[in-house]
Amino acid sequence: MVTIGLLVQQIINGLFFGGQLALMAVGFTLIWGVARVLNFAHGGVFMIGAYSGSFMLALAGNWPLAILVAMAVTFITGVVTEALLVRPLRRREEFDIASIIVTLGLWFVLEHSMRLIFSSEQRAVEPITREIWVVQNIVISVNRLIVFVISVAAIASLFALIKYTKFGLAIRAAAEDDQTTKLMGVNLPRTYALTFGISTALAGLAGILLSPTFAVYPAVGDRPFLLAFIVVMIGGLGSIRGTLIAAITLALIRSVALIWVSAEISMIILFGFMAIVLILSPRGIGGVIDQ
Amino acid sequence: MNIGLFTILIERIREDVADRLETKTGQLLLIGVITSLFVPLFTNGYSLDVAIQLLIFILVVTSWNFVAGYFGILTFVHAALFGIGGYSAAILAAEFAVPGVFGVFTAGLIAAVFSLPMALSLLNLRGAYVSMLTIAYAEIIYYAAIMLRGITGGPTGYSGFPVLFGGDRVALYYFVLVTVGVLVTIQYLFAINRFGLVARAIRESEEAAQMLGNNTRRYKVVGFVFGSSLAGVAGGLQAFNIRIISPPVLELQQMIEFMAMGIVGGIRSLSGGILGTVIVYGLMEVLRPIGGARLLVWGLLLIVAIVFFPKGVVGSLKDRFS
Repeated sequence: MVTIGLLVQQIINGLFFGGQLALMAVGFTLIWGVARVLNFAHGGVFMIGAYSGSFMLALAGNWPLAILVAMAVTFITGVVTEALLVRPLRRREEFDIASIIVTLGLWFVLEHSMRLIFSSEQRAVEPITREIWVVQNIVISVNRLIVFVISVAAIASLFALIKYTKFGLAIRAAAEDDQTTKLMGVNLPRTYALTFGISTALAGLAGILLSPTFAVYPAVGDRPFLLAFIVVMIGGLGSIRGTLIAAITLALIRSVALIWVSAEISMIILFGFMAIVLILSPRGIGGVIDQ
Repeated sequence: MNIGLFTILIERIREDVADRLETKTGQLLLIGVITSLFVPLFTNGYSLDVAIQLLIFILVVTSWNFVAGYFGILTFVHAALFGIGGYSAAILAAEFAVPGVFGVFTAGLIAAVFSLPMALSLLNLRGAYVSMLTIAYAEIIYYAAIMLRGITGGPTGYSGFPVLFGGDRVALYYFVLVTVGVLVTIQYLFAINRFGLVARAIRESEEAAQMLGNNTRRYKVVGFVFGSSLAGVAGGLQAFNIRIISPPVLELQQMIEFMAMGIVGGIRSLSGGILGTVIVYGLMEVLRPIGGARLLVWGLLLIVAIVFFPKGVVGSLKDRFS
């Protein structure tokens, strides 16, 4: 029997989950929008963020420092990836496909080198706080609330960066027309590298923030990545606003659906939905709202 | 087909084969084909298993090259169709007592049936979008295989079905060799004829191919379904080879391994698919003692191949010797 309480509980869980998904998905869609790269190593970067942040946490016991380290390490990972692996492919005729393959390779390298170094063992991470609020039988984990707030703040900062700074203007221009942008004196390689870094830093932030929920192990990024992937396709590749709407909607649908169906069926539903969107309107929600 | 056309066809094959035998790649392939006939004389047990597995992978990788390299349709659903072929052959043998040899080809047919709606839905998409839609299909098939316990055996997989040739591995080897040999030859015939030419034209510019009066949509559907059916046959062979078929063969990871073999060899030719499979699978066998770290090597191979050898081993050999 499904009670109203359970439904509300799942809606709150869904909202929190949506914030996490959005954090992963926004970075993924940003790289495509600006640099035309589908970064399949995004889940691997999430994992790098989780490892580096949790090591800092174990060392210093300080969450802000752990978040800073996770974001710094993954920012560097992103910039280096762009400069070493993606940039040499940019002149290729089939750049979008070549970049898919090279980032797939990077995903394997990241995941399995960590497995080699740290084994597949799951490391538990102490949450920011163990406090729990109970309102009318509805349980709210304060840790997840804080994670949600930080995610929203990070996404809002990204929006502000894109909208109000000179670098944001360069990003928007590069997404619109890279050749003209270059003629206007924008350093394109630098713009691409920094965009990559910002995107991966968001994945790294997601990695450390979710480490108390998911623990830390080499394949920890795979599922968040697949979910973010679905979100981005439905939201419309390259559209940040479409991605946000899709993240919250899908997270709510999934959380509520989990009351009735198994996790496998919920994945089939999500991927099925994604396939339908791609067939009917490849530009997703973004194609409708970003006119 | 009248006699005149047939003679032209034979003549074209003769010329093409003669040309190819003058290249390093062609000579390597000839040596490979001759060696493959005598493998069971030299080895037994484990090496024979490796040889059977290699042949099956050659069929998967060349058929992926056929779709991805010739038509430029970078599909990720090939491993899942390989898995569908495997499940089909196993279930046909166990539940319907279909003779294995017949089941293997029925598996190809079933994979073709599954791939037809996919092929149609891909027609309006290009480049990265094709990859994304096929990833969605592959994931749906993967989760369905886990969920449909009653049919597929769920996460533990499907096993305990009748073996082929009473478990005689040498007979199985020759059956696999002949099947793979015939199917690779059919792909070769497609590739050197008008069909292959149009396929490559579609890859370079679909609009131009269309303007020259080719029904490019029909070519793409036929190419995709044909390539997919070969993956199904390979899956059927695989089921009888390893005698269990389980969800991991459907996973994205398996797909990436197939892609690595194709890309290392060079996805734009059949010989690239064959040599890539031999090189990468051979390397993985050599590296077996290092265990899980081999997956790290898969990733490195993909990166090095795409950054430094975009045309694959075959393309690089060609550049070097001509």
